[in-house]
Amino acid sequence: MIAPPRLSTILLAATTVLVAVLLYSPLFVPIVSSFFPVARGEVDWSSPTVETYVALAGNDEILSALRTTLVVGFCTVVLSVVGGTLLALYYHGRRAGRSALQFIIFLPFLMPPIISGLALLIFFREIGLERSLLTVVIGHTAFVLAIVYRTVLTRLQSMSRTLVEASYDLGATKWQTFWRIILPNLSSAMVGGAILAFALSFDETMITILVTGTQTTLPVRLWAMMRLGFSPDINALVALILMFTVLLCALAARFLVPRQIATQRA
Amino acid sequence: MNQTSDLLTLRSVSKSYGTVPVLHGVDLSIRDGEFLTVLGPSGSGKTTVLRLIGGLEPLTAGEIRLDGQDISGMPINRRPFNTVFQDYALFPHLTVAGNVGYGLSVRHVPRKEIARRVAQALELVQLGRFAGRFPAQLSGGQRQRVALARALICQPRLVLLDEPLAALDLELRRQMQEFLKSIQREVKTTFLFVTHDQEEAIGMADRICVMQAGHIRQLGSPHELYYRPNCEFVARFFGENNLVAGSLGETRGEFRAIETALGRLVCSVAGQPHLKAAATGARGFATFRPEALRLAGDGDAENRLSGAVADVAFAGSSTVVTITAGGDAAQRLRLRFPSRVEGSALRAGETVALSFAPHEGHLVLA
Repeated sequence: MIAPPRLSTILLAATTVLVAVLLYSPLFVPIVSSFFPVARGEVDWSSPTVETYVALAGNDEILSALRTTLVVGFCTVVLSVVGGTLLALYYHGRRAGRSALQFIIFLPFLMPPIISGLALLIFFREIGLERSLLTVVIGHTAFVLAIVYRTVLTRLQSMSRTLVEASYDLGATKWQTFWRIILPNLSSAMVGGAILAFALSFDETMITILVTGTQTTLPVRLWAMMRLGFSPDINALVALILMFTVLLCALAARFLVPRQIATQRA
Repeated sequence: MNQTSDLLTLRSVSKSYGTVPVLHGVDLSIRDGEFLTVLGPSGSGKTTVLRLIGGLEPLTAGEIRLDGQDISGMPINRRPFNTVFQDYALFPHLTVAGNVGYGLSVRHVPRKEIARRVAQALELVQLGRFAGRFPAQLSGGQRQRVALARALICQPRLVLLDEPLAALDLELRRQMQEFLKSIQREVKTTFLFVTHDQEEAIGMADRICVMQAGHIRQLGSPHELYYRPNCEFVARFFGENNLVAGSLGETRGEFRAIETALGRLVCSVAGQPHLKAAATGARGFATFRPEALRLAGDGDAENRLSGAVADVAFAGSSTVVTITAGGDAAQRLRLRFPSRVEGSALRAGETVALSFAPHEGHLVLA
């Protein structure tokens, strides 16, 4: 047996902690500072307060941006879940052109958002489509489709082929097999994909800035606020968005853990 | 129903995957009500036979007839057969009752009727208490029984079982063998059981169909296969056996001699006209089971063999002695006799004289 290399263990641990602190501690700064007032550009650490949150709740621009974000998110989720699931089924069925299809699905997700956004902008202008919430939804859907597609496809591929064979064997038709066997086994992957899609749509900024009309979403609003200077509202807003995103990701993880493992643990 | 009427007939059925042939013109008749086991090593095509009958794969050539009607083109969901899959293929999102009732529910049988028949089917496999559980909450043996109940509830003409015991441990496998056999007797349905395990085959089957390399080598009762194998493959594959190569000699009544490197051996050819008719000098094998071989007494004039003891292995109820015969290390003979508390008198290296009775010897052609 090899003796535990003590010095290297300590060094490794120290490096890990350092990297974690450097990378992730900035995330907590706005959360902490959102509870302290700012006077003349200086944070006053002596008196914790929730004033910033109260101010945020009274800010109509922010509230309307939040509403827009939720509407866009909802529409994006519906479109991407239906589209992503259908595309995954198409790919899984070993039909023609599947690799080309997969490449196209992943393209907007992997390309720099500014390129996707510009491409969409040019396209909308060419076909004469006014910039509006519809264009935002289309932009978001193109961007997040890959996530739902991949999540559903992974589940499909891990599903035993014999489940479908057993269904036919027991006398079920193709439709019955789809509705009663395939879809229920995909449902948790679809919910997980939907939550991830919503989280991505919620945070999306670059494409939205390029293709939105007069209405604005929460991250775009935040972006606009930042340009006007540092305000305590921003801290509160960032803290809320951060917490919301973490919550969504935790939810998604719960749905994406295979059911079998979940029940075995229970 | 008449025990000997044919339920299902395969006529020169062939199957290829791409350009790779896996079945070469297989002919097989399955009798109504029998427990037929298809036995073969992996890659022999036995699972393919089952998948073709079940309709999971299309035939490349030939036809499958049910009650004389060609059903080769009938879609899987219309065939009156149900399958117990190797991995059980239970639907993870449905309860035990939901799984068992699925076949009735997709045929729009009324709910009350489904509930009644599900309860009945679960009673049959002794899982009445588990109706509300999910497959993930069941043990391997219980899942197996759910899969069986799910297949039986549709009252199929034929139940197809694809190595359903392979995933179970030895003790459970023995219990399930008895259980399957008793269920089969109770429901009087034809079972087609695919396995690579000859013990399973011997224990359950009315008839066994031995397959190798996409061909059926022999079809018969376990007793026939054991004592009257028709070729070298079956003689070697089915049960432990001794084979000694040679060329056929003269026939005398119900016996025929074969000249081998170990001397002249005489074996029974009773009721096997093709062995009597085979040309003198034709290559073949004398075969005799390890339990038929014994230490030679003074009175044994025929089938005397001598060799050196290579190994004595205690195997519980029996002891197996390996002997190298005729000075040729490749010619090994096995001798099996009931174990005794005082142990075997044979020691490795010892030279022994052996013999077997001519009526216990059997010939196969090379």
